[in-house]
Amino acid sequence: MKNNIIASCFIIVSILFAQSSTAQKNPLTLELNYNYSMPVSGFKSDLVSNNSPRGFKGSLMYPFSNKLAAGVEIGFQDYYQKYPRDIYHTGPNQDISAVISNSIQTTPLMLKAKYYPLTNSFVKPYISAGAGGNLINFKQYFGEFGNTRTNIGFVGQAGVGIMIPFKKMSTSGFYLGGTYDYAPYKKDGYKDLSSVNLQAGISFEIR
Amino acid sequence: MKKLLTNGWLICLAVLYIGCNKDPLNNLNADESRIYITDRDSTVNFSSFKTYSISDSVAIIDNGKSTRQLNDVDLAYINAVKKYMNQAGYRLVLKNDNPDLGVNVNHIISTSTGVISYGNYWGDYGGYYDPYYWGYPGYGYYIPYAYSVYSVKEGAISVDMLDLKSASKSDNKKIDVIWTGLIRGSGIFNTSVADKQVESLFDQSSYLKKN
Repeated sequence: MKNNIIASCFIIVSILFAQSSTAQKNPLTLELNYNYSMPVSGFKSDLVSNNSPRGFKGSLMYPFSNKLAAGVEIGFQDYYQKYPRDIYHTGPNQDISAVISNSIQTTPLMLKAKYYPLTNSFVKPYISAGAGGNLINFKQYFGEFGNTRTNIGFVGQAGVGIMIPFKKMSTSGFYLGGTYDYAPYKKDGYKDLSSVNLQAGISFEIR
Repeated sequence: MKKLLTNGWLICLAVLYIGCNKDPLNNLNADESRIYITDRDSTVNFSSFKTYSISDSVAIIDNGKSTRQLNDVDLAYINAVKKYMNQAGYRLVLKNDNPDLGVNVNHIISTSTGVISYGNYWGDYGGYYDPYYWGYPGYGYYIPYAYSVYSVKEGAISVDMLDLKSASKSDNKKIDVIWTGLIRGSGIFNTSVADKQVESLFDQSSYLKKN
């Protein structure tokens, strides 16, 4: 909860700061997306196989040209899975019977760029790439007894999607896209928290 | 208007961020909240024992101090341990009849630090159960295997199995603790669930079987 509040404050401060920067020739664009995340690879096999409908992403993008925009993106996703009771051999002499629950919250903060190859089209396809840090909050419960671990890791992202402007040549519009987020997590034998994500949202100019 | 729209989205973002967490503890029922931990001496052949005796009351261990009591819950746990020891093929005898195994049932309430170390628990074990009770005055207890440390925020039930057969031949006057079972979680201090809790300990300890 403390991490959530800190990150929420970060979002608000960042955007208020952006709102004060009104003297720019090209307006900043705020993008807000609902995010549906699907764990893949080691994340899916070792920690959480359930898809997560609990997430969002927000970004501030500066349009360098009609084709290229770059900025900062922050997101949040909550993953949860409860496994049926099983017996775990936790040592040569020890067995634990428990229902294990894994609860993972990720907060990626990335530098991101978007490229729009078809500027004259009504529907503007784009490709994107980003990289940055990932605040990871991992809670694992044996029954009702849990341990919490917080780490910062790397996250890299590649994505594709389309943008439908509210009006021609506008940077405001609807967004629909997908990303692959590569997030290594080398703790306790785990490999990664990588995921495939689907997003839908809107963008609008900030002046 | 745009500023109003932006601030509205900011509030939505903050609410989403705080509200998006799914609390794992709210998704557990009482049965799912419980854990069962068993440790054993892997050098021991549990099928070599034939008889056992069980203490007639439960040790209430509260921050390193102990008292004895026997209420309905304690009796339910003692009877459940008898039931599953008998099902495993061991024969209940009086403690004066030279049992091969001694069994103690304990109710651990809490620790002042919120963390219980089995090492500390066993450090005082002679205070909870004087070896004299099992017919071995002047003896101590010995755990030949390492225990882990778990955080404890509420009570637990533990069942300990002692090797009395070897104690009678021991040169160093030690009673070996060869098996322990620990039950933790919501609602365990209830007569209606005692049998199921003890059954779980024995289910995951299939080596507890007489030939």
